[in-house]
Amino acid sequence: MSNRHASNETTAVTRKTFWETNEPLILGVGFIVLVIVLWQIVPSFFTMSKGMKLFFATPTMVFTAIGDLIASGKLWPALRFSSSAFAAGLALAIVAALPLGVLMGRSRLMNELFDPFVTAINATPRLVFLPLIIIWFGIGMTSVIVVVFIGALFPLLINTYEGVKNADRLLINVVRSYGASEWDINRLVVIPNSLPYIISGLRLAIGRAVLGVVVAEFFGGSAKGIGVIMVQASSSFQVDLVFAGLIIFMALSLVLTGIVRAIETRFNRWRPEKAKTF
Amino acid sequence: MTAGYIQAKNVNLTFTPPNRAPVTALQEFDVAVAEREFVSIVGPSGCGKSTFLNVLLGLVKPDSGEMSIHGKRVAGPGRDRAMVFQEFGLLPWRTVEDNIGLGPELQGIPKKQRRERGRHFIDMVGLSGFEHHFPHELSGGMKQRVGIARALVSDPDVLLMDEPFAALDAQTRDIMQAELLRIWQEAKKTVLFVTHQIEEAVYLSDRVIIMTKRPGRTKSILKIPLARPRGYEMRVTPEFNELKLRIWNELKDEIDSQGGPVRD
Repeated sequence: MSNRHASNETTAVTRKTFWETNEPLILGVGFIVLVIVLWQIVPSFFTMSKGMKLFFATPTMVFTAIGDLIASGKLWPALRFSSSAFAAGLALAIVAALPLGVLMGRSRLMNELFDPFVTAINATPRLVFLPLIIIWFGIGMTSVIVVVFIGALFPLLINTYEGVKNADRLLINVVRSYGASEWDINRLVVIPNSLPYIISGLRLAIGRAVLGVVVAEFFGGSAKGIGVIMVQASSSFQVDLVFAGLIIFMALSLVLTGIVRAIETRFNRWRPEKAKTF
Repeated sequence: MTAGYIQAKNVNLTFTPPNRAPVTALQEFDVAVAEREFVSIVGPSGCGKSTFLNVLLGLVKPDSGEMSIHGKRVAGPGRDRAMVFQEFGLLPWRTVEDNIGLGPELQGIPKKQRRERGRHFIDMVGLSGFEHHFPHELSGGMKQRVGIARALVSDPDVLLMDEPFAALDAQTRDIMQAELLRIWQEAKKTVLFVTHQIEEAVYLSDRVIIMTKRPGRTKSILKIPLARPRGYEMRVTPEFNELKLRIWNELKDEIDSQGGPVRD
């Protein structure tokens, strides 16, 4: 009873005003709106030659272009293609990286076996593999998936490995003393302990995966996708359409960042407030 | 020495830290503890007393030696023993209730039964109402109450305690020592308690084993004939101080000239 009373008091004291709670959102969105408005109106203060106009697009033109993409039915197949390749490549990377990372972190033999290989491929720019991938997998979805996979694999693998290696020795001994098997140790201590590492690896991997889709579609890995629409638009100087593709990629990246944030919050409940840094 | 409930004979352990000379942690170390006895081990830092607990727990394999509990040979971790760790060793992503349920969970006991059994021990250590708290929401004393409940819930015959109150402040430590005596009397366990606090050893124990400096061997064993139940007042009696002094006199020769960190 006295407890409940106390918590009521605390809420009363710490209640924030509307401005205090929404300040980041208002400022963030407000600034974007300001930039879009300026982008829209500033060009109208200048007279542009026909040649210059060719390289320029205002926000209204960009959104008209997106509207046209939707109306003509071109957007959905391209979007479905790009996001399927993204999702499949990322999912494969997660499925491969987590067990391999745990193995490398827990077994010195595994680490010594795989480490030089991982370091070498990770140090190589992913684009170098593209010609080979196109020869092996042809122009199409498979090649894009492979490029995404290679991009997303390494940040996940390296972070999982780091997290597993930094697992708390004391906690491992605690669960061992209660008769835990190697599998129990991984399940109860090693994996929960490396989750912060894995999630920051996931954040990097998502960036690399989006990059993988763009790179593969830009450089001939595929004949479909948002990236292909952008390349074609670029070669015919349709600046508004190029911007449309760019906006779509930005929106996708925003959504994905939101998803990672939600995952973080879900796994963060047990952490003290000041330690929530990732 | 007669055969005890806990029996360790001739335990030898040498380990080699990376890039260093080998260290002999235990040499021909013997221990015998009777059933439901409370025995403390004191000794200078690094004498191998904590190492011995890890050996008895089954986490560290000795080079040689025989160890048994209630006549059963010790080879690896087992349900007849549970350890209370100095740094608590709670899983930070698990609530109090789920930390306490760790042992039963690894024995394959279903969740509902785990919770029921846990409840009893949560009450015993005085944590009712904190079942769903995470470790970071608890004070040091409360964390070690969880540690004790977790050790007791699998109903071990032997409770091993590795400087369990060393990370607590002085007042909390006093309270936890009294709590431990109450819980020990209620749970009826055999306790092997490692500490480097002489006063703590005298206050809690039936017998105190004094170890030599490394390599650790038994130097002497002192009976603590103080009546039970023991209260805080007992700590200021002449008999109590006499016992403290005797242990100190045994120990001080074992502390190297640089000044070992034996306290009190």
